[in-house]
Amino acid sequence: MEVALDWYLALSAVMFTIGVFGVLLKRNAIVILMCVELMLNSANVALVGFSQSLADPTGQILVFFSIAVAAAEAAIGLAIVIAIFRKKRTVNINDIHLFKH
Amino acid sequence: MFADFIPLFVIIAIALGLALTLLAAASWIGPKRPNKIKRTPYESGMDPIGSARERYSVKFYLVAMIFIVFDVEVVFMYPWAVSFHDFIDAGLVATVGVMTVVGLFVGILTLGLVYDIKKGGLEFD
Amino acid sequence: MALASVTFFALALIAIASAVGVLIARSPIYSALSLVLNLLSVAGLYLTMNASFIGVIQILVYAGAIMVLVLFVIMLLNLDALPSPRSIGWGPILGFVLGIGLLAQLLYVMLTSFGISLEAAEPVTTAMAVENGSANTLGQILFTEYALHLQVAAILLLAATVGAVMLAQRRFA
Repeated sequence: MEVALDWYLALSAVMFTIGVFGVLLKRNAIVILMCVELMLNSANVALVGFSQSLADPTGQILVFFSIAVAAAEAAIGLAIVIAIFRKKRTVNINDIHLFKH
Repeated sequence: MFADFIPLFVIIAIALGLALTLLAAASWIGPKRPNKIKRTPYESGMDPIGSARERYSVKFYLVAMIFIVFDVEVVFMYPWAVSFHDFIDAGLVATVGVMTVVGLFVGILTLGLVYDIKKGGLEFD
Repeated sequence: MALASVTFFALALIAIASAVGVLIARSPIYSALSLVLNLLSVAGLYLTMNASFIGVIQILVYAGAIMVLVLFVIMLLNLDALPSPRSIGWGPILGFVLGIGLLAQLLYVMLTSFGISLEAAEPVTTAMAVENGSANTLGQILFTEYALHLQVAAILLLAATVGAVMLAQRRFA
């Protein structure tokens, strides 16, 4: 690779942290799902970086499956958000506390 | 090789630059004399009724979800198509094997589509 | 080659800026569009690593399909920006501290292992990396060694389809 692996790993770490901040700080359930996608994506960057610097395609196979899992996660997560919205009329996670009462 | 993709980046940069330049030029050169009637949404001369941001039917979500599943399926089938000649060169066993694997994969995903159709998820009424 | 380095740093800057944009956007639509920009720049980063096929499916699946679904749902629910909280509780502060802690941890690991050399069997040339990221190489492995994993992925997607249809179609009183 023309650029050292360290830079890709550093970018991956920063993007993962931004995703963690989003999950911890945002209150909109859809935005939280998007931040989970961001974290998955940063893990993919690290996987492809290792795979390409070791000339071992197994890491990219794992990225394939990770993308399939991300698609399934988005479909189910958004279906859950739709179901909750129908019942509670909100996607604010502070107002969704079914187990509290 | 990365240098092969340089034209792609160049064309993206040109497209972005052109679009932004034209938008900026239009807002800079064009005259702006807004009044109340001009600012209403254009609905073929009718007076606008209700909000433009109406809620969409959940049917659209189901169609988009089926699209995602089959998009992922196509992504998995693309390397199959590219490497199929090598599997044929490797002999009959390899060819039948890869056909079985992909057939099973497509079969399992088709079950989901059949379930969705049976449930009426794709019926618009 | 300097060209790849310049492209990497430009794309990395766009990726980080748009990831921050996901966080600070008021409306979920702006968050989603910012995430699309992030995914596109990550696809460009895959190209700088010569992983051309992964770069293409990144655009095809992530930016093309998953974000369309997210935008559909935002329009389906017709969401406005949430009102800003009247008082900041302990939750966000704790979240901020935890996030900073995680970043510090990751950066510590990064800095202590900076310049580490990986134990590749032989020095990796550009031609090897290009070959490694091609659809043909991936297909050769995916349909032989990982055939069973492929079926598991198919069952996962089937379960997602059935589950999403169940959840979205259910009538609530």
